[in-house]
Amino acid sequence: MTIINRTTDRGPAPGDGHPLPWLVPAIAILAAFYAVPVLDVLRLAFSDASLLAPASRYSTDAIGGVLADPALPVVLGTTLVFTLANVAALQLAGLCIALVIARGERRGLRGMAAFRTLVLAAWVVPGIANGLVWQMLFDEAPYGTLNSLLGYVGLGPVAWLSDPQMAMASAVIANLWQGTAFSMIVFYAARRAIDPTLYEVAELDAATPWQMFRYITLPLMRRLIAVNTVLVTVQTLNTFDSILALTGGGPGRATEVLALFTFNTVFYNLDLAGGSVLAVLLFAIGMGCALLVHYVIGRERPAA
Amino acid sequence: MTVARWGDVATYAVLAVLGAFFALPFLWLISLAVRTPAEVYLGASRFIPQAPTLDNFRLILSDPAFLIYLWNGLKLSASGGLVAVALAIPAAYAASRLNFRGKQAILVGILAVQMISPLVILLPLYRWMVALGLLNSDLAVIAVYGALGMPLAVWLLKVTFDGVPIELEEAAAIDGASRFTTLWRITLPLARPGIASAFILAMVMNWSQFLIPFILLERDGDWPISVAIFNFAGATNASTTQVLAAACIIAVLPAVMVFVALQRMIVSALMAGAVKG
Amino acid sequence: MKKTLFLAAAASALPVMGTAQDLVMRTRVGLADAPNTLTFRLTAYDLYSSDPATKAAFEALFTDFITARPDWKIETQLQTGNIGQEQARLLQQTQAGRGPDCAMIDSSQLALFKDNGVLKPMNDVFSDAEVADLFPFVRDAVTDADGNVLAWWWFTDLRVLYRDTSVVPDAPQTWEDLKSAALSAVEQGREGILFNGGRWEGTAFDWLANVWAQDATLVDDNGAPVFASGENREKVLTAIAYYQDLVDSGAAPARVTSITDYDSFNAAAAAGSAAMFIGGNWQYGQLRNTLPPKTFANWAVSEIPGPTADQRATGTGGWTIAALTDDPAKASLCGEIAKEIYAGPGNAAQGLLPTSAAIYDQYDTYDGPEYDLFSAALQNGVARPGAAIYPELSNQIQIMLGDVLSGTATPEAALDTADAAVQAAFDRQ
Repeated sequence: MTIINRTTDRGPAPGDGHPLPWLVPAIAILAAFYAVPVLDVLRLAFSDASLLAPASRYSTDAIGGVLADPALPVVLGTTLVFTLANVAALQLAGLCIALVIARGERRGLRGMAAFRTLVLAAWVVPGIANGLVWQMLFDEAPYGTLNSLLGYVGLGPVAWLSDPQMAMASAVIANLWQGTAFSMIVFYAARRAIDPTLYEVAELDAATPWQMFRYITLPLMRRLIAVNTVLVTVQTLNTFDSILALTGGGPGRATEVLALFTFNTVFYNLDLAGGSVLAVLLFAIGMGCALLVHYVIGRERPAA
Repeated sequence: MTVARWGDVATYAVLAVLGAFFALPFLWLISLAVRTPAEVYLGASRFIPQAPTLDNFRLILSDPAFLIYLWNGLKLSASGGLVAVALAIPAAYAASRLNFRGKQAILVGILAVQMISPLVILLPLYRWMVALGLLNSDLAVIAVYGALGMPLAVWLLKVTFDGVPIELEEAAAIDGASRFTTLWRITLPLARPGIASAFILAMVMNWSQFLIPFILLERDGDWPISVAIFNFAGATNASTTQVLAAACIIAVLPAVMVFVALQRMIVSALMAGAVKG
Repeated sequence: MKKTLFLAAAASALPVMGTAQDLVMRTRVGLADAPNTLTFRLTAYDLYSSDPATKAAFEALFTDFITARPDWKIETQLQTGNIGQEQARLLQQTQAGRGPDCAMIDSSQLALFKDNGVLKPMNDVFSDAEVADLFPFVRDAVTDADGNVLAWWWFTDLRVLYRDTSVVPDAPQTWEDLKSAALSAVEQGREGILFNGGRWEGTAFDWLANVWAQDATLVDDNGAPVFASGENREKVLTAIAYYQDLVDSGAAPARVTSITDYDSFNAAAAAGSAAMFIGGNWQYGQLRNTLPPKTFANWAVSEIPGPTADQRATGTGGWTIAALTDDPAKASLCGEIAKEIYAGPGNAAQGLLPTSAAIYDQYDTYDGPEYDLFSAALQNGVARPGAAIYPELSNQIQIMLGDVLSGTATPEAALDTADAAVQAAFDRQ
């Protein structure tokens, strides 16, 4: 906040004023630290650079190579499933927890802060621990944790990680454990910001909890849900470390999402050019999702 | 009344299920952390170790390097969070209060930065920092954290500023206050909860960052805990999984303490701000 | 919050790690004012191990080493256990002139460093006799065509078959033996045979023993992939079919496609749920420390079965130390670290497998009967091909095996896919 220009005129009327001074700090730091690397990625995408040798010539070979790779459609499909499942699960879980905690706090129930802290703690666990622990939980050996628990109630065993479809579900579960906190905070803050008198009025009208959720909570949180959808989508698209630790992308390519594929291309294949093409693709997909959501919510203007 | 009581029961029922889901992995982490090397290899076949030990925690806490890694992690993630919020406040204010051409484009452009995964620009970023002479300096990591956390902070703060009644600012403007004064005196105090949330979010995301500090800091004395934790991830002939688990638990604790401390601030700030309606 | 600040303050107030008399510190070995400095990048597995016994042994070795060279200090740089990224970073830094003088390089990455010409000879340190005494695959890997010693591969490892002799009394010698022994173990309520089948390097590498046992080659002399062409193709398909049959017949459980670490085998042995597994030599010591003595007595190691009893192979790995500096004095010191600290007493302290026969006779550590089997099996040792395409080849093998074993693809289709991907990657390298 050091670079803010002081305008010493009579005081601003709402709505006008020059935006540039306000935007300069943010744009300046993005330009200083991001512009060159991002342009470099674009340059590399048109090159033949590897991790070991700099670019020697420029062509569209890398782009053609990546787009023609028969693995790409598989990876994109996996990415789509992983992202959709996670975005839905993360938001539902986050919303559910936020509302339940908000309710518990209103009622003065004990343990709400502790529960919230538990969810938040999962968020800051190092990725390596995430893989370590969930591998044990999903262990399909006769003594594996989840399968043993299921066994007590006469269910299972489930092929958590060895079955391609199930492995995807397991990766989503592990990611859900770590990622829910973010949505929870966002929704919790939004729920707390809703004027309580609205609910009091509704209660006087004998509204059911579902009606209050449907006609008060949901409409007022709608914009934030949309924003959160964008953020969570982007975070999920860029997730690869928890999958790397849990399944490595396997069995086969069953859980190899685009971010992990990019990582493998650079660090296994040492193919910097191809990795850059994938990086640009990853970015384009994220951007496309954001614009889509933006367009969808942009159509209805909030009345306030 | 009874309906509310049933509601309480339902609340606890939901929390019990979710609580089990969120607690189970931690219980495993603790189970691993109190094992002797011999019992680590039993894996999932024995949940409660026969000979629980605190040696692993002792080993880690007696290593002065571990505390330095923790401090590095705290320093980098908090500074990065501060930079992100400081940059975001004016931008979010402009987005919330000013009408100007290209506003949407700029907002989307800032958000686009959020889409750039560190993975994507990893190697160019490394070379760029070498060119700037910032390799191995905290400044490089803090600046990148700031840039990385800023877009999210802008969006959170824009929503927060939108919620601050514009009438208050108009009143101040009539009294002759400049925009800056209005922002500083009126808007920011009311936006405290949003600012705190933005800071916490940015900081926590930095706390678990691996790739950026790994690539930009080459000396192990500079590493934050999120990178250094990999030191505990293996040995050629002895199991160190139990030490790794203990290290993970200790690494999580500072962040949890920050949560516990700052959560209250948010809640109380929210309650104070609830008057605004 | 207060607590956090207190912790932080405590951390920053700590002295620079270690006391003045100590010659081994977190970032330095030797005295701060020694005139000459060698920078050495090492793993966290020995001198800075979180295993106290290992750490103590190496502190003593380094202290002796530096006391004998008072003019030198070694500035140590730690590399994390994140091997792939660490080694890529090391190569990048070295090419940019920012690398350490001396570094530990994973044996699987050695060829990459060699091809890029960043390794500097350490010929003064190692006599011809010492080089001649190295196992053949090690000697080939560390020397160049002119006989320069470009690295010292100080320990190796290999894969063997572990079996619970109470269920499988005789060591299976062939694939057929292994399958029938596993099936009879399954009848007794055990998991027959476990092996790595998940998406990680261990899966490809352990399985390749079955390919090498048939004398197939993965890459030609120019480093081009040839694993799916000519007679190699049949051999590779045979090895895939062997694994597929183990899973389809129930000799191996379907869960092998989720196994991505060797510790899973220790757990299965400890739980008494598995009869056999393909594991690393280092697991023998782990089992000894984990299992009750009576149970441990039941476990035995033997060579990995081959298609016939005479066709055997096993994959060998391990770590090397190499000089990256142009200064000959520093390169020599680097070689001496490898020779005097790591290759001999360092290996003995950790029970790792030395790479030359002489060292096995020198230390008591290697008196155990398991080491006779290990050194015999090393005669059939095969290292990863020294070609830049290997990491991607391994990646594709992991995908191929995962797809076949989980029933997603047929062996032929999976091999064709892998071949196409590896060729495409090679063409662009």
